[in-house]
Amino acid sequence: MTLLDGHVVVVGLGFGDEGKGAVVDALCAARPTTAVVRFNGGAQAAHNVVVDGRHHTFSQFGAGTFAGVPTHLSRFVLVEPFALAAEARRLEAVGVRNPLSLLSVDGRALLTTPFHIHANRAREEARGVNRHGSCGKGIGETVWYSLLPGAAPGDVVESQEVIGTPGEAPTVADCARPSVLRRKLDALARFYAPLATPPHSVDELVALYRDFAGAVRITDGDETGRLADSGRLVFEGAQGALLDQFHGFHPHTTWSTTTPHNARTLLGGRPHTVVGVTRTYLTRHGAGPLPTESAAVLARFPEAHNEIGEFQGAWRAGHLDAALLDYAIAACDGVDALAVTHLDATGLKVVPRDGSPAVDLPDPLAWFGARLPVAVMGYGPDRAGYRVAEARSTINA
Amino acid sequence: MGHGHWDDNAYAAAKTFRAAKGEDDFGYTADLRSKPAKEWKVAPALDPLNAVRECRDSADHSDSTPIAVLFDVTGSMRRVPRIMQGKLGKLHGLLKRRGYLADPQVLFGAIGDADSDRVPLQVGQFESDNRMDEQLRTMFLEGGGGGQKSESYELAAYFMARHVVTDAWQNRGRKGYLFIIGDELNKPALEARHIRRVIGDDVREDIDPASVYRELARKWHVYFVLPNQSSYYNDPQIGEHWSELLGQNFLKLDDPGAVCELIAATIGLEERVVDVDRALADLADVGSVAESKAVGKALAKLGTKSVVTSAVPEAGGPSDVVLR
Repeated sequence: MTLLDGHVVVVGLGFGDEGKGAVVDALCAARPTTAVVRFNGGAQAAHNVVVDGRHHTFSQFGAGTFAGVPTHLSRFVLVEPFALAAEARRLEAVGVRNPLSLLSVDGRALLTTPFHIHANRAREEARGVNRHGSCGKGIGETVWYSLLPGAAPGDVVESQEVIGTPGEAPTVADCARPSVLRRKLDALARFYAPLATPPHSVDELVALYRDFAGAVRITDGDETGRLADSGRLVFEGAQGALLDQFHGFHPHTTWSTTTPHNARTLLGGRPHTVVGVTRTYLTRHGAGPLPTESAAVLARFPEAHNEIGEFQGAWRAGHLDAALLDYAIAACDGVDALAVTHLDATGLKVVPRDGSPAVDLPDPLAWFGARLPVAVMGYGPDRAGYRVAEARSTINA
Repeated sequence: MGHGHWDDNAYAAAKTFRAAKGEDDFGYTADLRSKPAKEWKVAPALDPLNAVRECRDSADHSDSTPIAVLFDVTGSMRRVPRIMQGKLGKLHGLLKRRGYLADPQVLFGAIGDADSDRVPLQVGQFESDNRMDEQLRTMFLEGGGGGQKSESYELAAYFMARHVVTDAWQNRGRKGYLFIIGDELNKPALEARHIRRVIGDDVREDIDPASVYRELARKWHVYFVLPNQSSYYNDPQIGEHWSELLGQNFLKLDDPGAVCELIAATIGLEERVVDVDRALADLADVGSVAESKAVGKALAKLGTKSVVTSAVPEAGGPSDVVLR
């Protein structure tokens, strides 16, 4: 038995875009897998997978979908039905039949609604040049609103002023309870009215969300535990440890626990392997620190699937940074193995410690291997470029 | 009516979820068809009996333009509402985003045969948001009709002439757009008993259909679209009949799948926002390349029309609801 035969938790060790999607796909293709469990984030995830010429940017569906593995969205995930439907249509277009039937969702998962999205965009636009690099998909707003019950207008919660009288946050389970959902959406509409009003009526949303509830399986209780006891799970993290809400660099963080901690909670003490994903160089979207940033690196590695987002800002790149990598691993309370992607990159450099100049990195695998076992190695998003360690001896080599 | 905004994402999401549930887009039809025929009846929201439909301006939509699309839902023509349902987003997007119309409001109706159908006429409400999808899907596609080469188009025309109020006309003297989509003839006479039973007006004498269309043309640009899917497509009698009533506004359409595109292009043309070439280029831009060919053919004669004018309100101000 190797490290990868049991449950595997995949986390990013950078600022996102490390290649988690391709790694999850490779892990699912390499071993029988019961489900991919998403344990953080929401519709802002963008995990590129290419298999046999089919490409999809996984957002709410798990990156194991091309490998035929169902997805479970745990209670730590934010669910946005409009985007989910759009993603289902894109998956159908690349040959996945009835993708929504592959999905189950924990009823406690928070709903991201047009109210959150429009408020998010209104706030980010008001920040002007001081944008946080938000994706404009309402993620932070969804989390923030969920923290408000009990707060009063004028209170400050997480350094943001409460602009009205908050209600309870709508959840996925509410979608099947129109009267509860209507009450919560009415409260949401009233709350956000001073900031932004989406073009949808509450009636329309209630009808749409009811259709959503009918189209996916909504679970209660410990579904992840049940799945874990019936077979191997791959936990797919979104974003990266350096964007973590507790460990990232504020304010350029995501309102999400990007480290393996949610996955560990869901596993409830069951044995597992944590695989930290890293590129052979560093990238990030939009504003925020990137100490080893280099125009030369950016010029050498153009991205096929990462574009400049309207709200997210530019795509940036820099050299590997040993201090940041160690920091990310520490933020995860350690990882068991690494997955190294973009091994096709040449002429790499690494900044070995804070303040040092970048030095050449002719053999990145050796450099990573000296720190931790390399369990998965690969190139871009294409499954054909991936190799998954076969035996423990390989991992420890 | 007239509040709210059409949203492509919501429309597409609803369709996706319904499909995943295995639900028919025309669920009302599916429900009724599982019941005995004597229980078939029009959905309350679409019942023309003693009804008035309004197309009003609102704070959101200050320049509303009514667009009414009435289909013959007999036999093979039932495909047309399904095609429309699939392309509603495209219709709305073209009209609005390409600047053909600022505030389109769309009403759907369904036409059957008053002599033989249980539900010979259904008329929805003018909507500017995703409820237009809902009313379309609530239509009962009875699919009857009966071999006599005529349907009750004139009954629908009567309703549109007498039971529809629009701010576009009342406040601005602007005509609305009415598209009748079918493949047969009007009945020889609009029978008073059908008007009484289906619409509720106390009319005692049968009416000449031609006079109904004359009345209708005062407030509406009226088009008859004959899509190519029936044995009557090349029947000269159909063309002569409708050309006599509507002149150049009788349109033959090779590809029934292009009916939505034809409506959008016709409006763009009539509004003088685009010429035929631009309209077809717009269609190609939104991905209807194949359809644009059929539309181009159908519009060939409209494009050469010399003058297109909106009606001018009568002296003394706009006329009121009821036409004489």
